[in-house]
Amino acid sequence: MKKTKSMFPDAFIPYGTWGSSYFPAWQASPLAEVNIAQFAGEGMARIMSLRKVSINYLDYLIIGSTVPWHWKFWNATVVASCMGKRVPGFQMEQACATGLQAVILAGAQVQSGASEAVGVLTFDRTSDSPVGVFPERRSYRRTEVISDVWDNFGFDPATGKGMLASAGSIARKYNLDKREVDELTAYRYEQYFNAKESGFLDRVLVPLEILNIQGKHLGIINEDTGVKKISIDSLRAMRELDSCVTSGTQTHAADGMATLLVASKQKAKELSSKPEIEISFVAKTEVRVNPSCMPEAPALAVQKLFKQTGLSMKDIAVVKDHNPFAVNDAVFSKVMNYDWKKMNNTGSPLVWGHPQGPTLTRVIIEALEEAVDLGGGYVLIFGCAAGDVGIAAIFHVR
Amino acid sequence: MRPSTLESLGLGTVLEIFQKGKMPVDISEMVDKVFGPKGKRGAMIISGASGIVGAGKVMQFASRLLAYNIPIIALDLPGAPDGISKQYKGLVAAFGRDGANDIMKNIIQLTYDGKSLPETLKAYNPKFLLEAIPEKLELKKAHYQLFKKQYPGIHIWSVTSGFPSSQLGVGIAHPAFPHEINKVFEIVENKPSAQTQLLWSMGLIPMKMSDDWSFVLDVFFCGLMLAGLRYHTKTNTPFWKTDKYIRQIAGPNPFRAHDAIGAKGSNFLTWSCLHHLSKEYGNLFTPTDDLVEHKDSGQNWYPLDHFRPLVNWSMTDDDKKELYTMIYGPIFQMTTLMLHEKRSDLTSMNSIGELCAQFTKGILAQMRNLGEAEILKTIKAYHKLHPESAKTKWYADELKKMNSSEWQQLYVNAEHDGKAGVITISRESYNSDVNAELNRAIDWLKKNKIKRVIVTSDFHLSTQMVGADTNEFFPALLNTKEGERIAATWSATARRLYNEFEISVGFINGKRCMGGMLEMMMHCHYMFATEDTSLGMPEVTLPVVPGMEGCHWSLRKAKAADRKNILKMLMDGKQVKAKDTVGWFVDYSGSSEACIKKAWQIMQKGNSVLPLRKVDEKPLGKLSWNDAKITPTTDVNFEEARKAIKKCVEDSCNAKLVDAISIQAKLSAEFMVTKLCRKGKVGSEYDKINQ
Repeated sequence: MKKTKSMFPDAFIPYGTWGSSYFPAWQASPLAEVNIAQFAGEGMARIMSLRKVSINYLDYLIIGSTVPWHWKFWNATVVASCMGKRVPGFQMEQACATGLQAVILAGAQVQSGASEAVGVLTFDRTSDSPVGVFPERRSYRRTEVISDVWDNFGFDPATGKGMLASAGSIARKYNLDKREVDELTAYRYEQYFNAKESGFLDRVLVPLEILNIQGKHLGIINEDTGVKKISIDSLRAMRELDSCVTSGTQTHAADGMATLLVASKQKAKELSSKPEIEISFVAKTEVRVNPSCMPEAPALAVQKLFKQTGLSMKDIAVVKDHNPFAVNDAVFSKVMNYDWKKMNNTGSPLVWGHPQGPTLTRVIIEALEEAVDLGGGYVLIFGCAAGDVGIAAIFHVR
Repeated sequence: MRPSTLESLGLGTVLEIFQKGKMPVDISEMVDKVFGPKGKRGAMIISGASGIVGAGKVMQFASRLLAYNIPIIALDLPGAPDGISKQYKGLVAAFGRDGANDIMKNIIQLTYDGKSLPETLKAYNPKFLLEAIPEKLELKKAHYQLFKKQYPGIHIWSVTSGFPSSQLGVGIAHPAFPHEINKVFEIVENKPSAQTQLLWSMGLIPMKMSDDWSFVLDVFFCGLMLAGLRYHTKTNTPFWKTDKYIRQIAGPNPFRAHDAIGAKGSNFLTWSCLHHLSKEYGNLFTPTDDLVEHKDSGQNWYPLDHFRPLVNWSMTDDDKKELYTMIYGPIFQMTTLMLHEKRSDLTSMNSIGELCAQFTKGILAQMRNLGEAEILKTIKAYHKLHPESAKTKWYADELKKMNSSEWQQLYVNAEHDGKAGVITISRESYNSDVNAELNRAIDWLKKNKIKRVIVTSDFHLSTQMVGADTNEFFPALLNTKEGERIAATWSATARRLYNEFEISVGFINGKRCMGGMLEMMMHCHYMFATEDTSLGMPEVTLPVVPGMEGCHWSLRKAKAADRKNILKMLMDGKQVKAKDTVGWFVDYSGSSEACIKKAWQIMQKGNSVLPLRKVDEKPLGKLSWNDAKITPTTDVNFEEARKAIKKCVEDSCNAKLVDAISIQAKLSAEFMVTKLCRKGKVGSEYDKINQ
């Protein structure tokens, strides 16, 4: 195995100190009616409890969230209070890159020596997203109203185009065949349901019971609600919304949270249930591609990352990405000359949904678990984000 | 069987009360001793009177001493937030507006600057100071000096929750929350004082304690809070959920209680108590970081309304074991320490947990039921989870004494003079522990060939008899066999009072006697009750069907024409004054002294003193329900409950006495598993705690 330098030699992800809620599709669960930041804070305490980690060890909290939530002004501090530990921290957001970027920032926080154990907590509720009213004196209506999730999906103010259009234009640019994109999608569903049936996802996803305001049972979040098995025939039969893009070959909005810890070497050993496993940060990069070319950005980010590290696809044990469109994976396969069947072995956001903030965090957790199962190795994580951005990072599990 | 707790107050034994035919002291005698004779009486001062403790005690003493014209001086600093006015509403609820106004008239509010006392105080001739100022040693000492200098003969008690008397230089009377209602005072003094006996004569409950840090109550209560905090620290379980789990396994809501009392003050007091205990005894008591934070901030433990809990915390069996160990491990360890130091007699130590810290069962009763090996196992398991606590010394040898009568008879005691015996019950409600101890007391008296017995309260810790513990019936909500077992077992114990003694007198004093306790008492050959005592069978209102033979036993003793009164009691569920039930329910009622004398005469002279109403052992035949004038109701559930009780009355009355016990047990148990019972008090209490 090729040796590399670590970008944060003093920061580690303690094995097992992580977990994610299930990601029910938007409007399909009690998460549609709760303050998602409170849910995330309380859920993190619960997940860490199940992982036998006391939140008292945490000295910092980085939250990642993209959809405004009630009392967002109070930032990480109020979420930390909901978690039960009054630590400082901040909120960051970078659209769908949030879940990875938050982990990188936590690594930097530990590397800087400012913290010994940082909680990363990402969450979003796309259901019933808030509607912002913005005074815009230059607009002809003088006041603009934006529904945070849907209006932003549909309109990139920098290009004037929507997300979906970017997938269509990239499919055309790379001469993608709809039949292949449908096959890829069907395969991603198979991967997800195989992982689910094997019990793999039970190591990552934690059922969380939701209480109503009277303290009584409101519901339990124990399914990626809305995800159903799908056949290649039904995918083929779907109406094409743009080139290679159907309702089946794109992800869906969802709600949820995901969390993991980043700590110093010593702390990581104390916190982990398997201290012999070491997970380090290798490298990270980002690119911004041409307007409305978002689905190719991740592949180009990975190319850049490999130049940085000297690694290649042959060196990677686990490949996993945030793929809001099946087009993303088909393009990645072409650009990197890599069989798309080898990646996303335990499922991917194309199937289980797109709650924005926590999406890439869940991707990382699943990938790290998979790498441990394989006996270690390099883990490549990447994804696209609003603004035609590609983000990629490599972790090392040994 | 063991010393009476009354003796620790210098008031003799319960047997002596009956032998002497009167109470050991009465209130007017004690008022004269403490405040001086009529016309020359002095005043009581409560300093720090605007605080939660002070204001509560102002109400408690003012209402009880009103008839004796003792001025209650409520003293505090100028500008102290007014806690006394807040009490007025409660006073009106308890005594009516006129009564409340009379009490308030006798409360004189004065302010002082903390350095000198107001001149006007002299006019009131202060005799007794109850100090309730903040928990700061030097402040308290200076305060006493101020009073001692100006009023050298004044008797001073501190309500401190921590400092021993040896540090303060005055006696201790540590009260329990809620201060305007709770009758218990932990008393530290060299020998029983007139003030302690005054408290007893006023119907309060002074308990003698040794002069050790935090006495008993606060070790239990603050210790439990600390145990909950450590569980939170270990598992992340939120305070609110930890609180609910503690409620489930032990009874108290320590976190809720802190918020209810006022987090700012109570967080400080708990911290202060634990801080001093940790200095004295080590890590077992060290406050957690969360407690320090909440002490400094005064913040509540439960989340604010807009953050009502969202994510629930369920538990696996292993989690439950860990919770049990983390909560009970330190409590057991602390208890061995208190036992070693002999902080109080065991009955008082056990009762404090129930009366003041809300434990469903006293800690000593729980420990006794578990046995030495299980307790050691729990403490050792706790030390694995919290190794720091193992560094504090504890006393496993104390657990070897569990076979002693002090351990075995925590709730029920028995005394005799060779001819007559007295069984005393120190608990206000019947439960399985009382039942087992009552059986042992009966065995002991029989072994000593005692044929005549009085069954009564202990004239100390139990100031009323309120029925049976609802939580004892929780298993019966799910399983009729459990319900039948409880009803049949308890009824069999009650029947021993009838079958195994030549004469038994059920002697009821105090405010009220109801439900299960009343059913137990009615099994005695005679039932006595002081005239103002209220008696009631409230089961229909709960609803449950009486399980200890309340549906037939008293009907078998009453004349046919009088049975309507008992039927009405059962069907309406309302309380009646004992004096109005003579002849058909109780056999004798009068003043306390008259009842005591008459009961003892029966012990001495037998049935000739008072005609014995025999229990009709045959089926009773038709009952005259129409004559009972049962209050009509439009409440469908109430009517359903009445139907169930009526069936139980008819079936058990129309059976032979020998068969009635199983009929009543069966019908009572069958009702426990109904939806109606589940919706009622017992069922909803169960659901509230367990779901």
